[in-house]
Amino acid sequence: MSIYESGKNMTSLYYALIKAVQVYDLNNDVVQRAAKKFFSYINSLLNIYSRIILVRYRDYIFFNKQRLRFEIDGYASLQFIHDKLKKLNIKSLIFSSGIDKNEIVTFTSIFKEEKETFLKQFSEKKFNHINIEFSTTEEELSDYLHDGEQIKRTYFRALKTTKDLMHNLGTGQPVDIRSSKRVIYNLIDALFQDEFGLLALTTLKNFDEYTYNHSLNVGILSLTLGQRIGLDKKNLVKLGISGILHDIGKVIIPKALIYKSQRLTDEEWNTLKQHSYYGVKQILKAYGLDELGLISMIVAYEHHWNYDGSGYPAHRQNQKPILFSKIVRICDSYDAMTTPRTYVPIPYLPHLALKVLWKRRNTFFDPILVKVFTQLLGQYPIGSCLELSNGEIGLVIRQNQSNSDLPIIKIVINKDKEKIDGIIIDLSVQNGLKIVRPIYLQKYGINPASYFV
Amino acid sequence: MENDLIDIVKSLVKTVKAIQMYGINHPSAKNFCVPFYKKLTDFLKNNPELDLQIEQFFILHADEIIHEEKEKESSIAFRLFRNGIRNINFTEGLSFDELLLFLETISQFSREQDIALNLWEHDFTHINFYVVEEEEQILDYKIPEIPVKNIDYDANINEIINKEKIDLNAIMNPDLAFEEFNDLKTEISNTKKLLVVPLGITTLINILKTNKPREVIESLNELVTQCVDNNDFYNARRIVYALKQCPDINPIEKFENETTIIGFQNMINTSSKDIFDEFISFIRFFSKESIPHFINLMVRIKRKNRLLSLRSRIINIARNDPTHFLKYLDSKDAAILINAMALLGLMKFKDTLSLLQPLMFHSNPLVRIEIITALENIGQIAKIAEFLDDGNSDVRLKALQALTKIRYPKIYDNLLRRIKSKDFRDFEFTEQKEYFNCLVASGGKEVIKHLKKILFKWLFFGRKKYTIMRKLAALALVNINSKETREILLHGVKKRDKNIKSACTMALKQK
Repeated sequence: MSIYESGKNMTSLYYALIKAVQVYDLNNDVVQRAAKKFFSYINSLLNIYSRIILVRYRDYIFFNKQRLRFEIDGYASLQFIHDKLKKLNIKSLIFSSGIDKNEIVTFTSIFKEEKETFLKQFSEKKFNHINIEFSTTEEELSDYLHDGEQIKRTYFRALKTTKDLMHNLGTGQPVDIRSSKRVIYNLIDALFQDEFGLLALTTLKNFDEYTYNHSLNVGILSLTLGQRIGLDKKNLVKLGISGILHDIGKVIIPKALIYKSQRLTDEEWNTLKQHSYYGVKQILKAYGLDELGLISMIVAYEHHWNYDGSGYPAHRQNQKPILFSKIVRICDSYDAMTTPRTYVPIPYLPHLALKVLWKRRNTFFDPILVKVFTQLLGQYPIGSCLELSNGEIGLVIRQNQSNSDLPIIKIVINKDKEKIDGIIIDLSVQNGLKIVRPIYLQKYGINPASYFV
Repeated sequence: MENDLIDIVKSLVKTVKAIQMYGINHPSAKNFCVPFYKKLTDFLKNNPELDLQIEQFFILHADEIIHEEKEKESSIAFRLFRNGIRNINFTEGLSFDELLLFLETISQFSREQDIALNLWEHDFTHINFYVVEEEEQILDYKIPEIPVKNIDYDANINEIINKEKIDLNAIMNPDLAFEEFNDLKTEISNTKKLLVVPLGITTLINILKTNKPREVIESLNELVTQCVDNNDFYNARRIVYALKQCPDINPIEKFENETTIIGFQNMINTSSKDIFDEFISFIRFFSKESIPHFINLMVRIKRKNRLLSLRSRIINIARNDPTHFLKYLDSKDAAILINAMALLGLMKFKDTLSLLQPLMFHSNPLVRIEIITALENIGQIAKIAEFLDDGNSDVRLKALQALTKIRYPKIYDNLLRRIKSKDFRDFEFTEQKEYFNCLVASGGKEVIKHLKKILFKWLFFGRKKYTIMRKLAALALVNINSKETREILLHGVKKRDKNIKSACTMALKQK
């Protein structure tokens, strides 16, 4: 079993024990059974690893240095343990060899307490094989905007590769498939390292031509959603490439049409709709008929098929798009809505775009995937700007996994409406501050992406 | 620790070379893998990890060179370095299988292989590696500035809300219900098992309905080959059918040669009935030119029913044109000759009789048997009767069976005469029985009378030898299964003659 699986299992079993301890007396059978299960599992792990260290860092949990990802499977247990550690201000929880069942049960019984009681009891009762390390909120928050250099490099390298790929396809030059694959692998690595850090970069719009930036953002959003639902690496690669290539057919469409600011005529609209079909041609030319090529081709063809059977290109109503196409459909729409285009110069605010997706679930979009996407982005996605009850304006820089409506923000405009390099606030732990409404940061001449890049 | 490390890296290098030389599954390679695994895991028991840096011709640990090899062709360090790998890190918990997979991956010779990508795809849990990309240029992160515009942003928000009819108070609860969670898990599991080729084919066929782009047509043409190579005749057939709309391309042409068609021999004897049936459906698109190759293929079929299916399909392909079978009527190979005759018979070609006539006295009884089948198919019953005097009992039996099946009254008297002849009692029981079956099939009302006569015939001499005749008559009567025949048999049971009695009793029991 992989270290990742071991970590997931361990947190699930510990979650079950905490829940049992919260409800029953410590001598109750349910508690004893859960403790026995957890003890036997952790003991087997301690035979392999001399110590087990759960670290909470940047809203993530690491199990012996391996980040445990928030996936729909095991989401509740991981989220619960993360929140508990956060509330208790615990940075690391360390289990060592020699631990016994009673020690586990005793620790769990105080683990359920509030911070002060927990700290008091932890120092009173002696735990020989369980150690904890603490951190401060300030220390944690100040860490958020650092250390993203590698992810940024990955993003911009990916952007360059996307541009080269699309340019070469458009001009009939050979494409470097190896590079495009490597880029996806790097993006996935970045995703496993810090998905919110990577997601933040999708706030960068129109850095280069719309299609390049949009294609990459759709690739990243798709990868993030794919990771959240638990796709393995091999499938993530296919999904990522498909996401990046979904609009590849647009390289055939005249730019004048793509960037036309007026309403399209029926004929022009029909031409634009051909991009799904052109995409198939382009992908076949570049990738041939290997698995990656075929999947990308299918997604390029189906990414405007709706959940209810409508959409284009024409197809039988009972012909359902594949999972990857449904994911790309959502991410494509979200990124398109939140990106300024010539015909929609002011984009939708992220939370409004999310509401549109939500409203059109069951018709345009797969309702389950929309739910997971909302869970992933939070009520106020990264890049949203929130006017606060004290008059300040904060930029959402991070989600709170447990409080999707109370994100982590950075104050960028003060009460006097002046640009500032303000503090970072976790709205889930600060008292007194309320979100008044989301606003456009562009109003102040600020590009939200500038805080992430 | 230094010596341990040198030893581990030496062992790594030797193991990789052994794998390159023998392959991962060879015992000689395993002889290197096992001790390497032991050394590595022993090291990891005392150290949390082993971190190796890769330079062009060196492997280093903590910036100290512990292995050097400057020969590009054989240097492991160079091969890893060329693929962008700069660091490899082993951690505790490493399993033997994981290590084997790692060793196999880094032992790949081909320049085409991207070792870094392959390592990455394996998603190792106790082996990490760091890869640099070729273009490590410093990228400019300067992002576009947004000028402050005199836009009423709040009005824009309201416009969007109104346009999209968004209810801002509507609660978005993203928690998945149990059923939703299960549905999603099922869909993911199905996606992991997804067969991409059939889906890709569906997409391309969909496109063909409205457009006929060259890329799509060529891809489908290529996919037919892929499908045929993988015995996926269902999808091959779908493609060929779809490509019928494109007159410029013949996706079947490339299969219509002897090598390919004879190459189907393993497939036609496959244990899967479905694959065989799909194959038969697929070959309906083949042209007449392929028929000679299929005739050659037929002799390799092991199951009779499959041979019959293939023959029927070939008749379809031939479309009433026997040209491609005729030349095989001169074949010295009896198996081929038999198939050619069978096809002629199935086709019901008007000149079949004249073509078969010279072969009626062919020395091989199997050929003569096949002629009977062919004659049966074209309805030449009188000709079949001529085989009742054939020197081979199998041929005679086949002729009788054919006549039984056809029910040919004109043969009745002939049969009765033969049954009554003394020679008849020297025939094999199977043939005798078939005579009676044929008699029943070709006879009218008089058959009961004649059978009754045979059953109750009074004999003074040769009773014992005649027993078999009574039995056969009784069996024939019971097969007619009428009130009259039952009464005859019941009457026979009461007879004093124990031979008659026993024949009737046995027949009734059998019924």
